[in-house]
Amino acid sequence: MADPVDDPAATDAAPGATDEASGADEPDAHGAETAPGSEQSPQATLDPDAISEHTTDRRTLSASVQLIWAVRVLFGVAVLGVLGGFAIGQTSLDPTLVPAVTGVLTVLGLVWVHLRYRVWSFRVREDALYLERGVVTNVKTVAPHVRIQHVDTSRGPLERALGLSTLVVYTAGSRGADVSIPGLTTEEATDLQQRVKELAIAAEGGDAL
Amino acid sequence: MKLDRRTIPYRIVENGTRIVGIIIFSIVTSSAGSGSSGSGFFGLSVLVALLTVGMAITIAWEYARFQRYSYELTSDTFDIHSGVLSRRDREIPYERIQNVDISQNILQRFLDIAEVRLETAGGSGTEAQLRYVSTGEASRLQEAISRRKRGAGDEATETESEEAVLFELSDREHVILGIISADLRLIGVLTVAISAFAPQVASQLGPEFELVSVLGPAVALAGILLFWAASGVLQIFRYYGFRLTRREDELRYERGLLQRYSGTVPLSKVQTVTLRENVLARALGYASLTIQTAGYAPGQDGSRVESAVPVARRDRALALARDVEPFDDVEFTRPPGRARMRYAVRYTLVVLGLTAALRVVHFFTDALPRWYLPLAALLVVPLAAHLTWKHRGYYVTDDHVVTRRGFWRRNTMVVPYDRVQTVFSSQTVFQRRRDLGTVTIDTAGSGGLGGGDAVAVDIDAGVADRLREDVADRLQRSLRARERVPATTD
Repeated sequence: MADPVDDPAATDAAPGATDEASGADEPDAHGAETAPGSEQSPQATLDPDAISEHTTDRRTLSASVQLIWAVRVLFGVAVLGVLGGFAIGQTSLDPTLVPAVTGVLTVLGLVWVHLRYRVWSFRVREDALYLERGVVTNVKTVAPHVRIQHVDTSRGPLERALGLSTLVVYTAGSRGADVSIPGLTTEEATDLQQRVKELAIAAEGGDAL
Repeated sequence: MKLDRRTIPYRIVENGTRIVGIIIFSIVTSSAGSGSSGSGFFGLSVLVALLTVGMAITIAWEYARFQRYSYELTSDTFDIHSGVLSRRDREIPYERIQNVDISQNILQRFLDIAEVRLETAGGSGTEAQLRYVSTGEASRLQEAISRRKRGAGDEATETESEEAVLFELSDREHVILGIISADLRLIGVLTVAISAFAPQVASQLGPEFELVSVLGPAVALAGILLFWAASGVLQIFRYYGFRLTRREDELRYERGLLQRYSGTVPLSKVQTVTLRENVLARALGYASLTIQTAGYAPGQDGSRVESAVPVARRDRALALARDVEPFDDVEFTRPPGRARMRYAVRYTLVVLGLTAALRVVHFFTDALPRWYLPLAALLVVPLAAHLTWKHRGYYVTDDHVVTRRGFWRRNTMVVPYDRVQTVFSSQTVFQRRRDLGTVTIDTAGSGGLGGGDAVAVDIDAGVADRLREDVADRLQRSLRARERVPATTD
């Protein structure tokens, strides 16, 4: 439910907020990389200074996330290799195919892991959380703060070993848990969780549905 | 308040038959396994004893369940107290209730009892299921809940607005509903496959199947017509006597011949409105209308894909859609021409792949001497690509974003900005080659089967980026506008 106390002042402040915040948030460095139109008119329910304190520049994941993905890829390839080894025994095909194919898959998988790491980036904007990811299919997600229901950080065993966390952002959408950022250091994840949470509260726009 | 008394015998029969079935099945299978079926009288008496105990437990359980189940309409929540061994008390705030549905199968209609289901936005399942109350009580509950949801309190307000009938299925429309229920895709594929390959396969199998090669196509045609008729009749049964009414900001529908359904759709919770037209419907100038609310997962189980209007003349369906979501005239922007090229390549690859697969099958089995037949489909690839392209598009109005896709079943989705949850644009490798992208607009209306999200497919990559930001931006603006002018539609 909206907090009616905030609203009138907030909507009045809107035009001023637009100028200030979009002026403050226009570093040329990543202008070319972010999508056209990403200079947003900000959400107007928090005063502009507080909002720009919560936003971030374009950030990438920590490099060690590649290790986690690589382990997963290797595990997958190993399973395939074992299955293939059994299967090929039933046919008249050359059994050396198995190590050859597994080798190629491993290389491809590792290249994919690195590319995936290179592509992955996110940014806390004034109006929304913005994610960019995907090697084969490149996806750019805009998750408006108004729509955020709650924010989790989760840490799997492998992530814990490497000191990493995943930030999971839930919306009421049918793809609720689709918005998650892996490979954050624990401090970064906690910090982001805090930022997103506060922005979500500030952006409260009535019924979430 | 308690459930209807007739619930007890109904549920005893319902669950009793199940238990009896299980017991008989297990005894039959176990005695068949042991091979000592000669134990005759002893086996029979065990069976009878087990059945008696089973029935006694069922009866006792159902009676206890009935005794321990009660519900209550308080001033702001709907309370349910239930459970024989473990008790459960549940309170559902009225404003959280999205849909109130009533359903009755034939037996229940005979007994004059009905199942009432309350859906809320949270959770995956139904929030509350009253099995069963009397028919009168069911509609009373439906009314009472919607009245309390409006905040009107108890029956005091007799002056409330009348129910206005928005739509009633005419006799003619019943027939058309049956006709357009056919899935032409399936029919097309089957006709081609059966008439082309059945004779060959039959002749390979043996001379006694020779007749099939003559009758093959005819049999296929007959089968298809039969299938068509059956699905048509099924569809007519499902939507028989469809009637849509509106009271204040709530829609109510009734439908069904053997199994009756009635449900409510709160207009303030509408997420998206979808106009569906398959090829046949378009040819006849008809369309169906689906309204997604946050409570439902349409298609959860097959029978519940909720059509707000199963079939109506296209202009009528559009007018009804505008009643629900007042959107402007739509002029679709189609994907750029190079997208058509992409579809042509895609379909060509599919045809080649299919042919290759048949060739491989022929190589191993020698059963398909005419494996090259699918290559003929290459002739229609350009047309198919054009049609796919022609029926895709999107349009941005001041308050809504509208997307459209599908040749065989064309879905036109209307999404008001203030219902948007997340927006994302994506590009597959193949799309990147042609500088195309896809924008997906996610809402809380759980897409489910056939519905899905509103998607603008294969638009120019730059346009996709702009559209993504534009929709997100307009979401913010429309929410702010809604706060400034409180309670416009809600």
